[in-house]
Amino acid sequence: MTDTPTETGGEPTESNAPTETGDPPEVEDPPETGDPPGAGDPQTPDRPSVLVPLAVLEGESLPNGTPELLANARVVLLGYHVIPEQTATEQAREQFGETAMSKLAEFADALAAAGADVETRLVFTHDKETTIGRLIYEYDCLAVLVPNSTMEVESVLVALRGTVGVERNTRLVAGLFADTGVAVTLYHALGDGETRADGESFLNGVQTELVERGLEPDDLRTLIEDADAPLDAIADRAESHDAVVMGETDPSVTTFVFGLPSEQVAERFLGPVLVVQRERPEE
Amino acid sequence: MDDSEPADASDPPPAPGPDADPSAVGITDSDAVVAAVDADTGEGELERTIGLVGGLAIGVGTMIGAGIFVFPGLAAENAGPAASLSFAIGAVIALLVALPASELATAMPRSGGGYFFISRGLGTTAGAIVGLGLWLGLVFASAFYLVGLGSYAGQVFLEAGIALPVSPAVPLGVAFGVGLTVLSLFGTENTAALQNGIVILLLVILTLFLTYGSLDALGVFGAERTPERFFPPGGALPVLQTAALVFTSYLGFAQVATVAGDITEPSRNLPLAMVGSVLLVGVFYVVTIFVATSAFGSARLGEFGETAMVEVARSFVGFPGALAIVVAGLLATFSSANASILSASRAVYAVSRDEIIPETASRLNLAYGTPHVALGLAGGPIVVLTATGQVALLAEVASFLHLVMYGLICVALIQLRREQPPWYDPAFRCPAGFAVAGVGGLASFALIAFMQPASIGVGVAIMLAAYGWYRYYATDVELKGDF
Repeated sequence: MTDTPTETGGEPTESNAPTETGDPPEVEDPPETGDPPGAGDPQTPDRPSVLVPLAVLEGESLPNGTPELLANARVVLLGYHVIPEQTATEQAREQFGETAMSKLAEFADALAAAGADVETRLVFTHDKETTIGRLIYEYDCLAVLVPNSTMEVESVLVALRGTVGVERNTRLVAGLFADTGVAVTLYHALGDGETRADGESFLNGVQTELVERGLEPDDLRTLIEDADAPLDAIADRAESHDAVVMGETDPSVTTFVFGLPSEQVAERFLGPVLVVQRERPEE
Repeated sequence: MDDSEPADASDPPPAPGPDADPSAVGITDSDAVVAAVDADTGEGELERTIGLVGGLAIGVGTMIGAGIFVFPGLAAENAGPAASLSFAIGAVIALLVALPASELATAMPRSGGGYFFISRGLGTTAGAIVGLGLWLGLVFASAFYLVGLGSYAGQVFLEAGIALPVSPAVPLGVAFGVGLTVLSLFGTENTAALQNGIVILLLVILTLFLTYGSLDALGVFGAERTPERFFPPGGALPVLQTAALVFTSYLGFAQVATVAGDITEPSRNLPLAMVGSVLLVGVFYVVTIFVATSAFGSARLGEFGETAMVEVARSFVGFPGALAIVVAGLLATFSSANASILSASRAVYAVSRDEIIPETASRLNLAYGTPHVALGLAGGPIVVLTATGQVALLAEVASFLHLVMYGLICVALIQLRREQPPWYDPAFRCPAGFAVAGVGGLASFALIAFMQPASIGVGVAIMLAAYGWYRYYATDVELKGDF
């Protein structure tokens, strides 16, 4: 999976030059030149990378509220088109490439206008999962957005399962919502043999970490629940929030039957869900 | 949306950081070619999704249907037990071509396979003849597989004890041809997974069957069978003629090259899939003939026709054996037919992309993502040819057109190695390249000479027609080195 983007293709179209896709070789160059004609502090090294996959040619567009939600992110905007196996990917690119690119450029503009760093990729593929997986690796994405729309972004539910990988959760939440005034509710469903005190000390730890990373203590809340079906509980709780942040789960037998937990939540919640990705092993 | 002009230019693009340095990501020289092909040219990049197993499944799945489930009866009738030698000859020729083809495919990992190599290596004239020939060669091959599929479907009625007034092979083959074309028009997701499953199931059934059959033939389960005289009365000539006839059983490895654009790590997986699938099916074919000719006399096998293997299995383990082989035969001929129809439509795409035929031929249907015109250009003639029911002729014409391409692939390798154009940088180099390609090319052309005159006549006519079309429509297309 390492082979695709290098010398020639490595530089994805930048958000500000999306329309002049014709001349990829001289894409933006590293740091120096990037400096500020006006806008906010240029030193945003910790912007969390979030992958936003959109089936552009199937009419999927950037859902309402996404630019606001990801205003502080480095967005990897992935336009993909899944082609049946009897068709060569080249063939589809030849015919649909331009249309798809111009649509993507429009979305990239919207994201950039809200303040995000945007990188645009368009991929013709036979298998969506392969493509998404590859890009997660390539950009070391912290999270993948399940693109659903939301009216506004004022409160976010962050579902945490345990200490494993929690650092990635906090990096994402702090990166996206520090200094934004968005209310963040940390949620934990108690597992077997876990006491309420265990849950509290866990969430308090996370809370402290988030404050260290720049969130206002006033914006943080915690919520602990003894839920039999954590997914249902998350989906229920989510209804009083505008977006959900949750972790990905290892695929298991139940995922084959019911779909991924994040997808189940997204389906019921109908709002945007940020799925925090596991640390990817070095290849 | 509102204009976002300079404001956000501020943020330095962090992208080049992690992945700009090729060595850091483990990019080898060879994969740079791949990267260049797939990379974004402003209109999107291409994902490679077929791995080694998928590549092998395409090769084996396309080939195994014919050699085991259609030819044994015909081949044994012509050449007796020496038919296994005919299959071995075919395997050697196929290997001699698969190696140069692998080298070319790693240098040009693009859709189009043999046509692409020849048009870029030898120029438009050869390319046009091969490209149009490949399309029709696959059309003939598909029709041949469909007749085989029809025979096995007909066998189902026979096994069920339903008497039919006419031989059902041809009508059923035609029906399957129409069905498969329509199916492929509406997009068939997950065909790859299905194909892998079918191939694995087939290999399991065949391994069991052939192991049992071999042990039986060697006398483990009772009286050793008296082997027939190995060579047929005519000596070597019928063996070579049979080799020419059954060469259709080895056409599949080139199909791997036609999907080269979808194969991951092509520098490794392409050669492995092509050479591996030829070796695998070659062994299966030779053993199959050995088992079949041990079970029955050659003349008797010939009477059984396309479904001779069903009778062989019945003689070993009775009805369950026959049933297993009928099922396996259905699966195998089905997957061969399906793969060939899809390859034929890709062949149409490849020539139309290069404007050797009008561009409309490769238009995609946005709703289904399938090339409807190309599929029609493949499916239409396939159905017509299936209706003729001429198994041997269909097989030989398919072989003829492929052998011409194989010969020219070898010529292209020699030519490119001599010229060493700057873009030619294969990751896999065929060992003893000149010798292998030289012998492979000569053998490919020589095998044509052993075909029936009628097949040669049809094949030559098609090539002349292809050349005529090129002179009429595409003389201004320059493809040599266009990479």
